[in-house]
Amino acid sequence: MIAKEPLNVKRVGAGRIPLAPIRKWLLIGTALGFLGVFILIPLLVVFTEALKKGIELYFAALKDVDALAAIKLTLMTAAIVVPLNAIFGVIAAWAIAKFEFKGKNILITLIDIPFAVSPVIAGLVFVLLFGSQGVFGPFLETNNIKIIFSIPGIVLATIFVTFPFVVRELIPMMQEQGSEEEEAAITLGASGWQMFFRVTLPNMKWGLLYGLILCNARAMGEFGAVSVVSGHIRGLTNTVPLHVEILYNEYHFSAAFAVASLLALLALVTLVLKSLVEWKTRKNG
Amino acid sequence: MGIKIRNVTKAFGTYTAIQDINLQIQKGDFVALLGPSGSGKTTLLRLIAGLENLDAGKIFFNGIDYTAKTVKERKVGFVFQHYALFKHMTIFENVAFGLKVKPRKIRPTKKEIKEKVMELLKFVQLEHLADRYPAQLSGGQRQRIALARALAVEPEVLLLDEPFGALDAKVRQELRRWLREIHQKLNITTIFVTHDQEEALEMADTVVIMNHGKIEQIGSPEEVYEKPANAFVYSFLGKVNEFKGESLVTNFPHVKGTEEAVGYIRPHEIVLHQQSNENSIPAVVIHINKAGSTVRFELKRLDTDELFEVEMTSDHYKKQGPFHKGEILYAEFKNIVLFDRKTNSIQTEKNVQGEVVSAISSYMS
Repeated sequence: MIAKEPLNVKRVGAGRIPLAPIRKWLLIGTALGFLGVFILIPLLVVFTEALKKGIELYFAALKDVDALAAIKLTLMTAAIVVPLNAIFGVIAAWAIAKFEFKGKNILITLIDIPFAVSPVIAGLVFVLLFGSQGVFGPFLETNNIKIIFSIPGIVLATIFVTFPFVVRELIPMMQEQGSEEEEAAITLGASGWQMFFRVTLPNMKWGLLYGLILCNARAMGEFGAVSVVSGHIRGLTNTVPLHVEILYNEYHFSAAFAVASLLALLALVTLVLKSLVEWKTRKNG
Repeated sequence: MGIKIRNVTKAFGTYTAIQDINLQIQKGDFVALLGPSGSGKTTLLRLIAGLENLDAGKIFFNGIDYTAKTVKERKVGFVFQHYALFKHMTIFENVAFGLKVKPRKIRPTKKEIKEKVMELLKFVQLEHLADRYPAQLSGGQRQRIALARALAVEPEVLLLDEPFGALDAKVRQELRRWLREIHQKLNITTIFVTHDQEEALEMADTVVIMNHGKIEQIGSPEEVYEKPANAFVYSFLGKVNEFKGESLVTNFPHVKGTEEAVGYIRPHEIVLHQQSNENSIPAVVIHINKAGSTVRFELKRLDTDELFEVEMTSDHYKKQGPFHKGEILYAEFKNIVLFDRKTNSIQTEKNVQGEVVSAISSYMS
């Protein structure tokens, strides 16, 4: 889980407590050491292991048919999930931030469920709903619709686990901005759509992008929920994280790390993009 | 455009913001909605704009029922308290917004829009800022842009919510004068909300004083100041000293009020003497503030220990003074106005006799 802070909180004057130099360096050293051992070294290991047997083998592992299929499926899942989350996220955040209605707090709590429950449970829920023994199982079977152990199941499970990212990012932002600019647009004669596309959307642009970047990273990296619903059918329902696990379990260590390095790269790209967006938001905010 | 508000009520949940209000605003009038916070003045303004839906009653624009019309259809210009400029647009784009969102058929051409926007920017004397973003402008400049933006769509009514609330005193003074000038030039029906009685009395042609979702009094600035309808209006429109209960009944030699009465007198209406006379009350000087054109005193009555304030011009003080802290002076409360505490209205001759009535009537005339 990625613990994140609200974007709009500017940490002003994080008080400089006068500390003896030795204590200061002890603190900094501990923090850096911890980061190094638990984050930096594993990241380096991923890349060194991936490249250990040479660059050719590295690319060979990525060009493997099953690996390519897994990459394709992961990209496709993200391509479906991210836009859907953008739309649902904006709608839900708007409803919560700008309207008062009964059950609003319940809705806010519901949004957090995917963060609160284990992804495995999320996967199981879908199996219980759409699996052959599940609630909708007989109906799906007679109509020859396959959800579990196929791509729709993967997409559903991924939507479930990634839903909070966009909403959580947008709600505080929209609450802070209030409705004055939108009301101004309406008094100036704008229609609802004009207001949305010319005022609301540009105002939430950076927050939305931030949420989408995190959402995308999670969508591509999700293991637990997808593992339960996918069925691990090679070349068909294997995503990149699942593929890594299979390779590793079959003792193809270099290949496993090669594919894993893709996810590590994704993480790095995500971090760079995230910092860029944060910087942009601060500049425009 | 003339506006008529008939029996309008608006509640937020269990809180009634506007309670059965009736108000008629003439075409071209310059109206201040004045009241303390929570009096419903902003809600009334937003109801007129259509930004809130009313619970009961009707609103007419030029005699036509506008109650069910949308904000867009009402074609009002609205200036928000915090300006609500579009942050991500330049000043030029902000002002052009209302023109650009018009349906294609009636939308002016690009060139026309540009001319119109530049004309408006010139009108508010900020044409050099066209390419800036709102964040780069000062509060006063933003307010002027907000007004230019509202005027771009040529509204027939201009509504302003606490237009100068967030500005410092000097800029506020400047903008007040400027807004009056604009009103004179365009002669557009203008309604603004304020909690600052000085602002309302100085700028508006008609002042509507509100309290607890109701209108307390409507009138010209002179009328409401000189002839306050009730105790609330009297005390809201300027500094007052309040006396009630026993201290009012027994201790003012010339006042024969009842227990239910409350007496108000403005600090500048109290006359201080160095010698006692039959109508005066002895008081000790607690504090003197001589900065500015008026000298302010804080005094304590020797008989009841009540504190009260007195003001006099510094010229007058020079003639009479100097007074010192701790000195005993004799205060004359000649113009004290008595209100009935229950009805809040000015007590009539039946309740009050003698000098007070004459004092009130001389005050009222």
